[in-house]
Amino acid sequence: MSAETVRTIIDDLGALLLFTMILILAAGQIYRAIYAVAAQSLLIAIAAAVLATATGNTDLWVIAGITLTVKTIVLPWVLHRVVRRMNVRREVEPVIPVAATLALAVMVVVMSFHLSATLGPVNQAITGNALPVGIALTLLGVLVMATGKTALNQMVGLFASENGIFFTAMAVTQGMPLIIEIGVILDVILAVLVMAIMVLRVRSTVDADIAGLDRLKG
Amino acid sequence: MNVDSGLNLMAACYGAGALSALLARWSGRLALSVGHLATLAGAVVGLGVSLSVLLGAPGRTLTQPLPALFPFARLSLSVDGLSAYFLLVISLVAVAAAVYGPAYLRTYSPDAGPARQATQVLALNVFVGCMAFLCCAGDAMTFLLFWEGMTLASYVLVVSDDRDGENARAGLLYMVMAHGGTALLLVAFLVLTERAGAFDFAALRAAAGDLDGTTRTTLFFLALVGFGTKAGVVPLHVWLPRAHPAAPSHVSALMSGVMLKVAIYGLLRFAFDILAPVAGPLPSSWGWTVLVVGTTSAVLGVLYALQQHDIKRLLAFHSVENIGIILIGVGLAMILWRREGVGGVLATVALTAALLHTLNHAAFKGLLFLGAGSVISRTHVRNMEELGGLARRMPWTAGLFLLGAIAISALPPLNGFVSEWLTFQALLGGAGRFHGPAGLVIVFSAAMLALTGGLAAACFAKAFGVTFLGRPRTAHAEHATEAPPSMIVGMAWLGALCVALGVAPGYAMRLLDAPTAGLLHGPGASAVVTARGPMVLSAGLTASGTAATAISMTMVTALLIALTAIAWVLRRGSRRGPPRAAPTWACGMSPTSRFDYTATAFAKPLRFVFATLYRPRREVIRETAGTPYVVRRIHYAGEVVDLAETQIYHRVQRGISSLSQSIRARSTGRIHGYIGFVLAALFVALLLFGVDQ
Repeated sequence: MSAETVRTIIDDLGALLLFTMILILAAGQIYRAIYAVAAQSLLIAIAAAVLATATGNTDLWVIAGITLTVKTIVLPWVLHRVVRRMNVRREVEPVIPVAATLALAVMVVVMSFHLSATLGPVNQAITGNALPVGIALTLLGVLVMATGKTALNQMVGLFASENGIFFTAMAVTQGMPLIIEIGVILDVILAVLVMAIMVLRVRSTVDADIAGLDRLKG
Repeated sequence: MNVDSGLNLMAACYGAGALSALLARWSGRLALSVGHLATLAGAVVGLGVSLSVLLGAPGRTLTQPLPALFPFARLSLSVDGLSAYFLLVISLVAVAAAVYGPAYLRTYSPDAGPARQATQVLALNVFVGCMAFLCCAGDAMTFLLFWEGMTLASYVLVVSDDRDGENARAGLLYMVMAHGGTALLLVAFLVLTERAGAFDFAALRAAAGDLDGTTRTTLFFLALVGFGTKAGVVPLHVWLPRAHPAAPSHVSALMSGVMLKVAIYGLLRFAFDILAPVAGPLPSSWGWTVLVVGTTSAVLGVLYALQQHDIKRLLAFHSVENIGIILIGVGLAMILWRREGVGGVLATVALTAALLHTLNHAAFKGLLFLGAGSVISRTHVRNMEELGGLARRMPWTAGLFLLGAIAISALPPLNGFVSEWLTFQALLGGAGRFHGPAGLVIVFSAAMLALTGGLAAACFAKAFGVTFLGRPRTAHAEHATEAPPSMIVGMAWLGALCVALGVAPGYAMRLLDAPTAGLLHGPGASAVVTARGPMVLSAGLTASGTAATAISMTMVTALLIALTAIAWVLRRGSRRGPPRAAPTWACGMSPTSRFDYTATAFAKPLRFVFATLYRPRREVIRETAGTPYVVRRIHYAGEVVDLAETQIYHRVQRGISSLSQSIRARSTGRIHGYIGFVLAALFVALLLFGVDQ
């Protein structure tokens, strides 16, 4: 594969990633957000595979495999299970209107492209627009966390934000050391598992979600 | 003794002592004995190591690599004159503490469970071991590790007596202050290690050579505050009078006598050895700051000590005073070192005075804390007002405490006088070299030092008189008995040291040669201070035009003994008839212990004189029976405040709590808002720092 082809593919994958992010932000039901994040992970696994063939870095194949199994299949399944176990309303209750969230998201994306234009040396990598897309994904993940009312939304947001970090790191450095990538993935698995258990426990004991946390204030 | 194997042996002793805490599984008493025995062995080995370095070939630095624990730093030990001297100070007091400790812990808290005894043994060995190896550290990493170990172990000892909630609060304050100081030290060291790319002191020295003046001075002041917190200089001393009394008495002796000195070691090592410019004098702001801080600490320390009635608290405040006296010498040495036209040998005199006072203070403050400890272990009372009349009941303790009191009051012929006299010589010599305000500051400092000596004498007249003389004020004091022999031996060891250093100080100059010559790259102590034999002290100021001042401590001692003998003989000769015992005439009342001077009353004149400083508060409640002329009972309560505490710490405390109150009032508690803040902050940071490049 020529460098030009790789760049085009990564750019296209970046566009799709952004699209999945918009889906997460605008999802009216929590299931849709989970499916979107799973799709996002799938796209990242594909990006890793593309980079692996382009650079001949075998570590990236391992990463693609782990991403596919863990992030595309296992974690969405865990989230799905949590939603079923919680047995509550599955509509997403946004803190601010969805339209306002999307307007903010547009601003974030524009800002990310503006920012990465100034980071000259990093942009020289073969991966084209991966950097602004990565930054945008990371920030939009945080935006998901900020606008979602339930803990599940925040888990999804963390997940998406982490996908952004992963994509940036992979695309810009063309594969970090395997041990670091695996460490990052383990981090997310643990975070999601712990949060899932916490959410279920809290729900079963006090019947409150994080929106009720402000009652703890002294 | 071979230094390398000595260091290994010392580590083995302290390590074995720490492990002996495991013996508490079978018997707490056994753990106490074995643990203290190991400390004793470690201290004796430490004495051997330090003496062999100090009296061996001069200018030798021994380096021993340690196992590589960290990939980024090579750990090593390195022993030069200064290290060996402080190792000597530590080991001398540790010997006394180790001999004294088991009996003290058994008598003071006979009901202590094996768990507490194991903790104390473990922490004591870690504490002493960390201090000993801290002085031998050859790189910043080792230094900071042992520094932290020392702090943590001493914290454990401070809170080890868990029956008193006050101890836990004292420990918390100590922990916070100590770590604040350590944080500053970390910054100072890490700036240097980052420039040097390595941790060992030689690399740091090279890196410090390229620093510009502002950075150098900033680093120095960071280190000064960091070490000053540990040393307890005013106004960073607030933890000291709380934490030191809370520890077991032999640990108080170690903390006051030794741990504070380790901070002095750090300051000397950092300022003179690592951070000093390659050539030329130290920046003048350093020395003057240290001098002023030292003078303030000396005067305020003794003034606050005067108003304390808790005997260990009083001693703790005296440590603030003595650290001040040491810092006066250090500051003067900093001012004079390598300064064209004024420095010369005078810097060596000043540093000699500071180092000698370090040793002397370790000896007499150790002795006093051990003496206070044996009183407390017998009476379980720390308040002097509830003691009294102990001289008859505990003659050995009383005699040794009196010895320490004379030494700390800087009266001849004991050791406190020698080092304060030397500090005076350095100050007076230095005052002649500077003109205008600078000279005045030095003269003022000398005057304050004189005032400090006088006030210290008043304070110990009170402490000794109220505790040991008169009649017992409570049943605790009345039923006190003499401490067990091993405690007496521990005190006697330090008492002998006080006498030896006082009567023949010339020999001590020999020990000071290596540290002074090594640190100042100039003449050693004995070249400057002793001119004629070991018995005569003579500050060698002749080289720069002033007449030398000399004093023979041995002759002073002989004179004092002769005068006492003559007075005794004359008094005997003038006595007519046999002595006759008769009741004291007290206007028809029978005298009771309430007729004696109390500590509060004794300190009252000074409370009046320094009222602006003390801000005394007193409250008198009279209970009368019908008419104002028949008084049933008078309740008196009085206290003085520590200005640093009320003016600085309480304000900071109020500021922090009102700030956090207002933050709490304004925070929403909504997690989305907080995440939104994070997002906005990230965004702003990216915009600010990303676009500019």
